[in-house]
Amino acid sequence: MKRRPPALAYGILGVWSVIVLFPLYWLVTASFKDALAVHQGPKFLPWVDFRPTLDAWRNLLLGVERETIYGPLLNSIVIGSSSSLLAMAMGASAAYGLARLRVRLGPLANEDVLFWIVSQRIMPPIVTALALFLLLRTVGLLDTRTGLVLVYVAFNLPLATWLMHNFFRQVPASLEEAALVDGASRARALWHVVLPVSIPGLVATFLFCFLFAWNEFLFALILTFSRARTLPILIAAQHTQRGIEWWSLSAMSLITLAPVVLITLLLQGYLVGQVLGGGER
Amino acid sequence: MLLTLFPFLFTLALTFSRVSLVGGLHLSFAGLGNWYRLLTDPRFWTTLGNTVVIVTGAVSLEVVLGFGLALLAYRPLPGGAFFRVLFIIPMALTPIAVGYIWRMLLNETIGPLNALLQIVGLPPLGWVSGERLPLLSMILVDVWQWTPFVFVLCLAGLQALPEELWEAAQLDGASGGQTLRYVVFPLMVPTLLTAAFLRAVEAFKIVDVIFIITGGGPGTRTESLTLHAYYRGLHAFDLAYGATIAFALFLLVLVASLAFLRLTRRLRATEVWA
Repeated sequence: MKRRPPALAYGILGVWSVIVLFPLYWLVTASFKDALAVHQGPKFLPWVDFRPTLDAWRNLLLGVERETIYGPLLNSIVIGSSSSLLAMAMGASAAYGLARLRVRLGPLANEDVLFWIVSQRIMPPIVTALALFLLLRTVGLLDTRTGLVLVYVAFNLPLATWLMHNFFRQVPASLEEAALVDGASRARALWHVVLPVSIPGLVATFLFCFLFAWNEFLFALILTFSRARTLPILIAAQHTQRGIEWWSLSAMSLITLAPVVLITLLLQGYLVGQVLGGGER
Repeated sequence: MLLTLFPFLFTLALTFSRVSLVGGLHLSFAGLGNWYRLLTDPRFWTTLGNTVVIVTGAVSLEVVLGFGLALLAYRPLPGGAFFRVLFIIPMALTPIAVGYIWRMLLNETIGPLNALLQIVGLPPLGWVSGERLPLLSMILVDVWQWTPFVFVLCLAGLQALPEELWEAAQLDGASGGQTLRYVVFPLMVPTLLTAAFLRAVEAFKIVDVIFIITGGGPGTRTESLTLHAYYRGLHAFDLAYGATIAFALFLLVLVASLAFLRLTRRLRATEVWA
């Protein structure tokens, strides 16, 4: 490539790495601080300028605060995974139809339908959130897991459809045609030929949907209060109490972030694969 | 589909209504009352201004930084994979947790940023209490979290460029800077515009980090349109007016999107796009 001095390149990349890492470092160390270490002003290095303690973690996982985090954690897991499974299944069906069959809706053809699906992301969530509040209230689904699952499926469906559509475009249609020629029914061809090769795409789609559902805040804020509230709502609720207990809030945040970082590392290969694959198309 | 289209139309209906929740849901027609109130509401204009400042400030910084970092990191260089993975992480993190982390960092008495400033001999700053700085702090947080998005798109765009491009430019005697300016940059314009567009659409909806860090304060200095709509709709429990603010936000994003699509179509027509 260009003869850019690598030292300079490394220097800039290094600076940005510090910018990325420092906030995360601060979060991790804060979860090992006690009230004293937090309120005496900023402490940077464990064992050097403060004594790390496991109190926050112990309280959260084994002690008095266990009840607080258990419910929202379970809600987040149940709501995240069931809504993502549904969105993935429905999105895959829609995408398969769009990729293989010619859909006509009046003057609209396949590409327009897809564009319409994707364009729903242009709408700010607050526009539907207030109306959904009234709707769920009317049908008695406010502050229930079912209510939030339904909303997240609707919210993730465009994304799931789009991801699976991209994926199916790369699967050669000749694969199922061969199966059909061999006398398999369309259902059998789908189940035994298309599904197995689609698993990587389905997994990636599931994980992307899960990330969005796990991280989502505004709908959860408006549509849940106590029974169905998720981890982000738990974190947000802490600052209304008397004074912030930074250490325990840091530990809660780390519990919330752990699966997210894990999924990112899993998806990274897929991202890079798509990125490199994009170059060949 | 029912779950997005119906609420959307319902919101539109709300903007022309009065809402009563006493003994079930009752709507009554209110004409243009909510819209008139919107246009004469100074807080609407303040939050609109805040939102536009955040969108333009954050998106332009993200595009510049994301493109720059992608230029440095896209070539095979030892340790390159490490940077690529690390740089992607912030955008996947739960925005509420990110907001909370930055609430700690920006804290003016027990946060590390002011402490670092003091170490290098500078006065502490009013990150979340000052006159104009709080809005900049919100931009800072958005840049930290979302530069990775532009970075990933640029990485993809750069890797899609043919390998021979660099060699050809070098054979023609172009310097690194010239290659970048006259060959790579024009080819990357579509990618950069798309990245800016997608980021802007998302940034217009900004609410989570502001909710956590400042709650819209001090006063209304960092309040975004979504936050304003939320406070009106569910704190003051004026759902019809909250819906009107939300719908105004939607119209704003819609107009901005259409303007963008028209711009790209014109660029395509003038062959900058190729």
